[in-house]
Amino acid sequence: MTKRPFLGWFVSPAGLVAIGLVATMAAVFQYSLRAHIPGSLDAGGFTLANFAGLLKPLYARAFLQTVLLCFETAVLTLLLGYPLAYALVRIRSRVLKATILIISVTPLFLGEVVRTYSWMIVLGSNGFLNSLLLGLSLVEKPVQLMFTPFGVVVALVHVTLPVMVIMLAAALTHVDRDYEKAAESLGAGPVRAFLTVTLPLSMPGIIAGVTTAFAWTFSAFATPQLIGGGQVNTVSTLVYQLGFASFNFPFAASLSVAGLTLTLIVMALLKRVMRPLERMGGH
Amino acid sequence: MSISLAEPVRSGRRDDVRSEAAVRLDGVTKRFGSHTALHEAWLRIERGEFMTLLGPSGCGKTTLLNLIAGFLEVDGGEIFIDGSLVTETPAHRREIGIVFQNYALFPHMSVARNIGYGLRMRGVPKAEAARRVEQALALVKLSGYEDRRPRELSGGQQQRVALARALVIRPKVLLLDEPFSALDKNLRGSMQVELKEIQRKLGVTTVFVTHDQGEALSMSDRIAVMSAGRIRQIAAPDDVYRQPADRFVASFVGDANVIPARLAERRGDMAVAVLGDIAVTVPGQPLADLSPGAPVDLFLRPEQIRVTDPAGAEVLPGTVTAQVFQGDHIDVYVQTPAAGDRRLLVRLPGPEAAGRWPVGARVGLTVPATGAVAFPTGGDDA
Amino acid sequence: MRRSLADRSLSVLGRLLVVAILGFVVLPAAVVTIAAFNSKAILSFPPDSLSFRWFRQALTYDDFRSGFRSGIVVTLWASTLALVVGAAFAFALHRYRFRFRSAIEGVLLSPLIIPHFTIGLGLLMLSAQAGLPRGYGLVVFCHVVLVLPFVMRSVYISLENLDLRLELAATSLGASPGRVLLTITLPLLLPGLVSGWLFAAILSFNEFTATLFVTTQRTQTLPVAMYNYVREYADPTLAALSVIYIAATAALLGFANAYLGLGKVLNVDQPR
Repeated sequence: MTKRPFLGWFVSPAGLVAIGLVATMAAVFQYSLRAHIPGSLDAGGFTLANFAGLLKPLYARAFLQTVLLCFETAVLTLLLGYPLAYALVRIRSRVLKATILIISVTPLFLGEVVRTYSWMIVLGSNGFLNSLLLGLSLVEKPVQLMFTPFGVVVALVHVTLPVMVIMLAAALTHVDRDYEKAAESLGAGPVRAFLTVTLPLSMPGIIAGVTTAFAWTFSAFATPQLIGGGQVNTVSTLVYQLGFASFNFPFAASLSVAGLTLTLIVMALLKRVMRPLERMGGH
Repeated sequence: MSISLAEPVRSGRRDDVRSEAAVRLDGVTKRFGSHTALHEAWLRIERGEFMTLLGPSGCGKTTLLNLIAGFLEVDGGEIFIDGSLVTETPAHRREIGIVFQNYALFPHMSVARNIGYGLRMRGVPKAEAARRVEQALALVKLSGYEDRRPRELSGGQQQRVALARALVIRPKVLLLDEPFSALDKNLRGSMQVELKEIQRKLGVTTVFVTHDQGEALSMSDRIAVMSAGRIRQIAAPDDVYRQPADRFVASFVGDANVIPARLAERRGDMAVAVLGDIAVTVPGQPLADLSPGAPVDLFLRPEQIRVTDPAGAEVLPGTVTAQVFQGDHIDVYVQTPAAGDRRLLVRLPGPEAAGRWPVGARVGLTVPATGAVAFPTGGDDA
Repeated sequence: MRRSLADRSLSVLGRLLVVAILGFVVLPAAVVTIAAFNSKAILSFPPDSLSFRWFRQALTYDDFRSGFRSGIVVTLWASTLALVVGAAFAFALHRYRFRFRSAIEGVLLSPLIIPHFTIGLGLLMLSAQAGLPRGYGLVVFCHVVLVLPFVMRSVYISLENLDLRLELAATSLGASPGRVLLTITLPLLLPGLVSGWLFAAILSFNEFTATLFVTTQRTQTLPVAMYNYVREYADPTLAALSVIYIAATAALLGFANAYLGLGKVLNVDQPR
């Protein structure tokens, strides 16, 4: 009796895709170590010049800017996403649940361009927010929201929120409501019950959500590109510039490699820092 | 790997000469990692027999069932069904029917399509299949339920559909894995009776797994009592109850009172154990390794002990510590120095016992001169 | 139930908070909808007068139409391929032990962490080096790689929820492993497979960053076409297109939730 019928059939296609992906990443690594030949898509011989070039202030600043944006976005998204996820999981009414779910999740399915574009209309000098502020006479001239880090963060939070809500809700689903009831029966008010019971138990979800939000935000391109408009440089916008404006693929590749390394380091650090918190969740 | 079921047995044993058993396990062993779930099991189930595998959880009974079904592969030994070697045969070619504890009815099919599944797999023509499905439904008293979905049925009804599904393919062996443990007590009782009737009517060889000794005793032609991966005794219910082979079987099947005694002498294949001035004759075989004077444990069933006045010869003195009303009888717990810390359980019929031997009353217990068993002290009680 | 003033005000506050956050989420969609109806050609708010002209423009603009067509082609191919590859692999992952199991799984899940621009850039460079044409094939492969983790997760969860004893019962009734798969496993996995496919299709259709790198003028999908339009023009055409987008997506999700239960796909359903 074969223990594993069809194994070959089921695994080979996935294996092929995996090989393709590995080849893709290999290309990136390879190009990052080769010299740039201006005006051509081919690359020259082995060199470390690309990585050396990363040390220039422009790129160092961009790295810092990116990390900062990602952190701010992750934290803000957590703060906004947790109440939504909590409501989603605790509310009994199916209709309300479905409404919250659809509203929270729909942005995920709209795509970067639509979402970013919508924010352009909200943040623009002639846009919604400024019209509101001017109309209410709270300001005299339009506030500059576009082309600022603030605007980029706001839009990024909006983009990342669905993912955070989904991950938090999945974790909260597994926190039995009975724990809260037990805490309250023992004299803890709802706030204390939440802080001492629910929050710690949902730690794994929080950690998963924050790390995912970080990676997700790092990957964002349309938002910093369109809303940042060249004033806000992130790793993603620079890679695009280098690749499509200067056709300097090797340098773009080294930037990508550095960016990827950065992401992995930050995520490992996040995990390490949050591990004692994770133990609180008893998992 | 696939051996046709018609291949003749190649073991060359004496067994070839006798009539073919429906199921035969020759030294079957099964390991899971470093844990041995089944140690060299030897079992022979006759055609049309209702054999129950009885034991506590973890004893290996479900493993044995899964090995017969072909869901697990053996690590040693051979399995024969109807005389043909099936050890290497895959499960879907073994011609068995199985009923699970949770019914496992296909939720995306109607009752009729569930029952007809096995027939479709065998390519039985539609008209004949429909007819056999109807017969099967009638057999389990669910005629007219063809188009219902499993989720519309009660637990008992689902179990009957599962039974019909397993029987309609006319299996060589019917396997049941604790099928009634999910049902409430009354339903369980009636399902047991129904199953027994159907089994007798069809004459299908049946292997039934349970941890409920009452169930085993009432339904089986023979019981195989198991513990820790070994078969301890294979015998008819009466023999298992009255002549348990070891102390595990004695404690697991039925209630047992254990009283320390001493081996006095042997008489042929019987032996005499003494408790103070009371002498009890017991089977000698379990005590074969002991010499006279050695301590033994006397096992008595509750109905074998009688309650009388404390005075008198050949009577164990004791005090009633509790009474538990059981409907048709009363369980009386008696504390007696002869048994040390353990309370003895006595069964008394009728309500007058409650008044006659209230809690705190001093009583005398008589034990029968014959019919008890004794085992060497030590060893597992289950 | 006596609830103190503090408790009650807390609950009201909580509700307000949730409504406020939901308002934040809905804000851009609401704003862009209103802006889309502006009769003037500027991206301003609020509009002075209303008109449908931008909707007409959005629906007739050549680049959008060809982008939509390309997008549909890529999406259908990518999500179907991803479903087949991902479901098969999730099945193997769930049931069997085999060599390279963790390695392949790790590689296939990595797009969740690797930025899309890196993957897009990598494919671009790979195709240049290996001399591969920058056609639909490349784009489809890119999308398959990006949506595969989601498909795998969806199918894996469905497999976890499948009662193995149903397959054992079918086997005992004479079904060979292949027939068990066809008559029992697949029909029962169907809801999970469909929602996985739907998820993949929506993500693929909307994918932008990696697609920007691997498409050409000929193969560009709708999001890329939209991006190019924004860089050149500042009129509300894109607002109109966004509104169409939002309406379609919300309808699709509502439908999916009603028939398949989005909660299960995203693993947010209450266990009780």
